[in-house]
Amino acid sequence: MNFSLLARHQRLISLVAACLSLSVSLSFGLGEVKTWTEIAWLDVLGEGSVALLSVVWIVAILASRPPGKVTSALVIGLSCFLFSALLDWFDEFVHFEAAAEGLSIIESMPAAFGMLIMSYALYQWHQEQLALNRQLHRRETGWREHQQIDFITQLYRIDYMRGQIDMQLRTKDGSAFSVLMLDIDNFDAFNRSFGTDEGDRLLREISELMLMNLRNTDLACRYAGDRFILLLPDTDLHQAEELALQIKTAIAHLAFKPAAQATAVYHSLSFAAEMARPNDGVEALIKRVNQRLDNSRYAS
Amino acid sequence: MKASTRPVASVAYSADDKFIPAHQLAASLIDLAMSRGVDKNRLLRGTRIFYQDIRTGSSQLSAEQLLRLMANAKAQVGGYDCAFQLGRRLFPGNYGAISNALLHCRNMQDVLRLLNVFMAHICPFMQGYTYRDANQYHLVINDALGCGTQWQFIVETYFSAFVAAAKLLLGRRLPFHFDFPFVRPRYIQEYETNLGFRLNFSQPVLRIRFDLEWLKMPFNQQSQSLKWHAVQQLKQQAYPSQGFVAAVRDSLRHKRNQSLQDTAQQFAMSPATFKRKLQQHGVRFQQLQDELGLQQAIYLLQVKKLNNEDSAHVMEFSDIPNFRRAVKRWTGFTPTQLRIG
Repeated sequence: MNFSLLARHQRLISLVAACLSLSVSLSFGLGEVKTWTEIAWLDVLGEGSVALLSVVWIVAILASRPPGKVTSALVIGLSCFLFSALLDWFDEFVHFEAAAEGLSIIESMPAAFGMLIMSYALYQWHQEQLALNRQLHRRETGWREHQQIDFITQLYRIDYMRGQIDMQLRTKDGSAFSVLMLDIDNFDAFNRSFGTDEGDRLLREISELMLMNLRNTDLACRYAGDRFILLLPDTDLHQAEELALQIKTAIAHLAFKPAAQATAVYHSLSFAAEMARPNDGVEALIKRVNQRLDNSRYAS
Repeated sequence: MKASTRPVASVAYSADDKFIPAHQLAASLIDLAMSRGVDKNRLLRGTRIFYQDIRTGSSQLSAEQLLRLMANAKAQVGGYDCAFQLGRRLFPGNYGAISNALLHCRNMQDVLRLLNVFMAHICPFMQGYTYRDANQYHLVINDALGCGTQWQFIVETYFSAFVAAAKLLLGRRLPFHFDFPFVRPRYIQEYETNLGFRLNFSQPVLRIRFDLEWLKMPFNQQSQSLKWHAVQQLKQQAYPSQGFVAAVRDSLRHKRNQSLQDTAQQFAMSPATFKRKLQQHGVRFQQLQDELGLQQAIYLLQVKKLNNEDSAHVMEFSDIPNFRRAVKRWTGFTPTQLRIG
């Protein structure tokens, strides 16, 4: 796990710590510790694990999400729940004098309140997820597999594309779709002149630019090296080639400036398109478009 | 079959000999992994490599250390392209004289001649020999050190490097054909993008082939004097010439049925020590003998197109049924199938 986000949640972490210390001081300050024989160990185990797991959930949220309204609401809600759970748990260890009897009566109130906040937070989370899904248009279709995301370009890898092409081939209506393969010219030479870190950055920029030129229904993935693959639903060969030309034009105008250099380096693309045929297979289709791209590159 | 003629068993290097400069392959691999977000300390865990040593440029590593580093990188870098990307950045890289010599070669033939002598300088894991048939030039590649489970990673790395280097030297892609002993991988796209589409998997030998016309196709940066200068520098470097497994294989090449005792004697070791040393490199004596038999059978039947009688005679089999059985066991094909295929 990566805990680098934790450092950015100082306020929320102090809130959780305050919850912990308040519940400890309330219980052990007002109550009187029980003798060993009075303690019901099964209850200790059950209620203790509820408290412990809510701490684990809080840490998981803090470690996975950047600061913001949704994160705060989630953590505040869970902290209230944690507060009640802790009071409940410490109950097993202490007696309360008559004066503090009220404490055990109100101890469940924070949990109910916390659950309300959590429900609000989950609704906000749902809205946020929808917004993120919209941001991911053209990077992903209605299917998520985070293990298949490529580190350099943050596009999906070819494994994901294979699944999506397969799904397209299986759809009963058999609407025509095209597959486009794009390859950056002279990428090796660029890497040699400016280093592979700049090469990686170029790949990232080019994938962004490519996405901008796609329609919302299209999908772009990284094939391998400097080769990208695009899935274009409801598109014939002619439209696909037109789209490829648009991307090619966009990339030809990208004035990429390698680090420590003021002058821009321009890039060109090679591309090939193929349409799915009746009874086509995923591998066969990818192979055809690859072959076509290679033929065009050898020819030039 | 043109065998490399270097019987010097005494200068063969083992997997644990430290002679490979750390600022070459190791540095490239560490850079690559770190640029993919891998933690430096986790990457170097168990390798006994220190990051500072790589920066000094004077530290040397053993093949064993590099193999461990590769295993770590393979496990920690996501995706399938680690080996291929590594291969692409190897040449010309930090290899000094050997890179300079290769850069100024006249043609592919020149490159292969240089590699025949100085392979260990740029790729200490592999051993190769070459022959030609009527149409094609063949490069058969063997494991020089016993790379075990990292062998496919190494093949992917150095084959990508070879293809990228050929493209750099020639100025365009050279249509190589590849035969791999591995099954077709799921990440076939990496093979296709980095090596091209002429790929055969599940083959009995690891081999690179290309049409004869490419052998003498002139390279871009050829210069006899610069190459000569680099070769002089190479000759002055104290560098072991070949891996231990490669040396054993060479000593068996023309005496496949030579006993373990006799071979051990050539290496000035007792049979027990010799066996132990082979075991350290993850190979068995019998396995090397079978492998040589397989490669010789393929050469005689597939390339030379000899008939069964002549092949059996060359390979010192007393009768033909025995020969047929052995070929079938080694390659999975009958002699006739090999001759046609």
